[in-house]
Amino acid sequence: MRVVIPNELKIRYRYPARALGIAGAVLMVVSILLPWAYAPTALDDMTYYGAPSPLQLFFAILPVLVILLLAIPLVGKARLGKAAKIVAWNTSAKTASIMSLIVAAVAVTAIAIDLGGLINVELGGWLALLGGVIAVAATPFLPDSPEPTLYRVKSPKWLQILGIVILMALLLFGAAYILGFEDADDFLMFAAFVVGVVMVLRQFGVFGWLGIAAAANNRVLVLSAFVVAFAFPFTQNGSDANMSVASQVLIFAATALGLNIVVGLVGLLDLGYIAFLGAGAFTAAILSESAFSTIKWSPPFIVTVLIAGTVSSLLGLLIGAPTLRVSGDYLAIVTLAFGEIFRITMNNLDGNDGPNLTNGSNGIPGIPDLNLFGFDFGKAHVILGIDIGRFANYYWLMLVVIALIIVVFTNLNHSRIGRGWVAIREDELAAEAMGVNTFTLKLLAFAGGAFLAGVAGSVKAHYDVSVTPDQYVFLESAFLLAAVVLGGMGTVMGVLIGATILKLLPEKLRFFADYRLLLFGLLMVVMMRFRPEGIVPDERRQLEFHDADEELAEEVEEDLTSHHAHLNPEVGGFVL
Amino acid sequence: MDLVNLFFQQLINGLSLGSLYALIAVGYTVVYGIVQLINFAHGEIFMIGAFGAYATWMVLGQPSDWSAPLSILVLLPVMIIGGIVASVAVALLTERWAYRPLRNAPRLAPLITAIGVSVFLQEFVRLFYGYIPGFPDAKSAIAFPSVPGISGATIQVGGVLIQMSAVFTLAALVVCWVFLWYYVNRTKTGRAMIATSQDPDTARLMGINVDKVIMAAFAVGAGLAAIAGVAHGLRYGNIDFKMGFLAGLKAFTAAVLGGIGNINGAVVGGLVLGVVESLAATYLGASAWKDVWAFVLLILVLVFRPQGLLGAKVVDRA
Repeated sequence: MRVVIPNELKIRYRYPARALGIAGAVLMVVSILLPWAYAPTALDDMTYYGAPSPLQLFFAILPVLVILLLAIPLVGKARLGKAAKIVAWNTSAKTASIMSLIVAAVAVTAIAIDLGGLINVELGGWLALLGGVIAVAATPFLPDSPEPTLYRVKSPKWLQILGIVILMALLLFGAAYILGFEDADDFLMFAAFVVGVVMVLRQFGVFGWLGIAAAANNRVLVLSAFVVAFAFPFTQNGSDANMSVASQVLIFAATALGLNIVVGLVGLLDLGYIAFLGAGAFTAAILSESAFSTIKWSPPFIVTVLIAGTVSSLLGLLIGAPTLRVSGDYLAIVTLAFGEIFRITMNNLDGNDGPNLTNGSNGIPGIPDLNLFGFDFGKAHVILGIDIGRFANYYWLMLVVIALIIVVFTNLNHSRIGRGWVAIREDELAAEAMGVNTFTLKLLAFAGGAFLAGVAGSVKAHYDVSVTPDQYVFLESAFLLAAVVLGGMGTVMGVLIGATILKLLPEKLRFFADYRLLLFGLLMVVMMRFRPEGIVPDERRQLEFHDADEELAEEVEEDLTSHHAHLNPEVGGFVL
Repeated sequence: MDLVNLFFQQLINGLSLGSLYALIAVGYTVVYGIVQLINFAHGEIFMIGAFGAYATWMVLGQPSDWSAPLSILVLLPVMIIGGIVASVAVALLTERWAYRPLRNAPRLAPLITAIGVSVFLQEFVRLFYGYIPGFPDAKSAIAFPSVPGISGATIQVGGVLIQMSAVFTLAALVVCWVFLWYYVNRTKTGRAMIATSQDPDTARLMGINVDKVIMAAFAVGAGLAAIAGVAHGLRYGNIDFKMGFLAGLKAFTAAVLGGIGNINGAVVGGLVLGVVESLAATYLGASAWKDVWAFVLLILVLVFRPQGLLGAKVVDRA
């Protein structure tokens, strides 16, 4: 339902529209000097004249962006020079005004719900809404800007690195700030603001530029990302609550990354992936020093990890070998069945219905904390005057595991094996005809993914302290799949984002806990229908889902050839 | 009880359980035969059939003192029709809004959508069924209405005791099988279905409305699943929002066992699966493992006879 405004109208009304848009944005900015709420309990205290609360200040950034985006082009094309073309002024102004209206609407709704009725929304709140409506109504009358070409601008290396560092710093600050919210409303309003800023920057062309900068300075990017992730526990002042969430996110993300190899790269739909995680967890639990473990042999954790991974990948082989020969649809249902078999078996290995290995539905509690090379993960310690607790220890460990998985993933992606996988995903028959050994490669992916899950599971067992069969049910597999689908199949960044969203939102929005699954189901359906390539699309993948789109095809081709230009050194005229 | 009687008792149990699987399996097989889609949400359509029948019973004023003949001849058919209406409506909606837009998408997309639909339908019933005024909360199991003359009633044949609900399930399967045979082989839509499953493009050229045929396939599958839902309610005495998951999985196994895409195969596969499960639980002991046998059978079939017992139309379509 996109409203199309004819071009003549856009040309005729471009100045009034610009003026009206600025007026609306000014209204919104002014509104933060007025109280928004009748009582201080809604959001943060928004009851003062002339003293905006932090959330109000954040909100004001969006309309200020609107004003800047609309006002700067007024100096004329001549003075703007190159800047007139390389960034998308009008479309980003449009996005900025829509997003500021959304944030204002979230705030007003939150105030109305918290204080019991719209009557509690004060003048400032209404003014912000009004300004937003005016801006949103006016900006569509601006002519569309062409696609931003900021990414084509050659920038010096120091500027690119600075850009990356600023991005990472913002990420760290944003993550620490967003986790600090206790209240679901504050969280929602801030999250809407963050989404708004991200979308405006994307429209403006900043992300395109950052993408090029990141590709050119890959090492800097990866390194700074890990420095930021590593530094995160220091922002928490020893608070365990957020670190617990953060480490859960990382465990979930590590598992999802494993699934991403299987689903995203090779296109095998594995619906029993959680069983491999469970197999790793149970192996680690049984081999741990827990008083309830049924095997009284407890090797050092390094050995346990390898055994857990091996057990999982053997199970993967057992399931994969018969099913990978037939069509992919069968694999989905057989893995689903395997997940059920796993759960039932773990329940039954209790000494009554089978040998006692898992204590049945009671599982194995009392698993001691990890001990790696004499470092006890259960102990808190103080670094730089900040308490670093048990959860932070596991957080760092998972960070290392994720780093390893990412290294393996990216190297595989560009190797002969990875190319073979992608070929299988795109067209199995063609791949086979080209000499790709499809069965072996599929089996390798399946067993490899299972190995990763086993490794993650062995850490999870120690992190969770106890392992029971009902932690590893089909719904957990569906969650993992949702993380992969939401983020973007086949990309590392996308899956990390997807996993973070799926773990963080339920944690912060307790009130919707009961509707969590309903929304998941809906999300999967809606994503597949409208954006099957996920939030961060893999270029090839995006093309697969939109194969009728010629423009996109050319774009992707150009991108791929320019990205991989270094693979084809220009020798003579033989460049493919 | 002597050994022969025990065997026949288990055989009858297995056949009635198998009829239940068969009724659901037909839905998988018909849809797969035409659009090559594993409709994961079909188990939920079965569950919705049961809840629809329950809702019909509530609307009728929870009649429990009707005489046995009146219940069997009037109450039960009305409940079944209510269930069929509910599940057919839901199946057509999912087809229209979730699957149809993805018909030309890569194969992974509709599979993931189907999982989403499945989770969504389960949760929808769990959260909102109780919001209908006067209806019980569906967050835990609901006692299925007892139909006088069927619920709890048994007949004795020789040394074997047969539940009336088992008789009902078997009879329903026989009736549905005959109906299916007639529908597929003798009606225009049925023949269009065969044509579409053989070659959708040519079928379209011959003037067949493929969209309508696909809707008909979803509707037929949903109708049979609703009957299975009622049979399940009568057999176990209660229904819950999760009941479609395991039943759907088993029914899919049955469809693969018989040869997916083959309607007679689904019926035979269902019956075989039911009997194997029932006999395995008796003779191999350990009823705690009974759900495992079906899946072990599924894996064995895929290894040794991927085309199924009666042969599938499409086995390996990459």
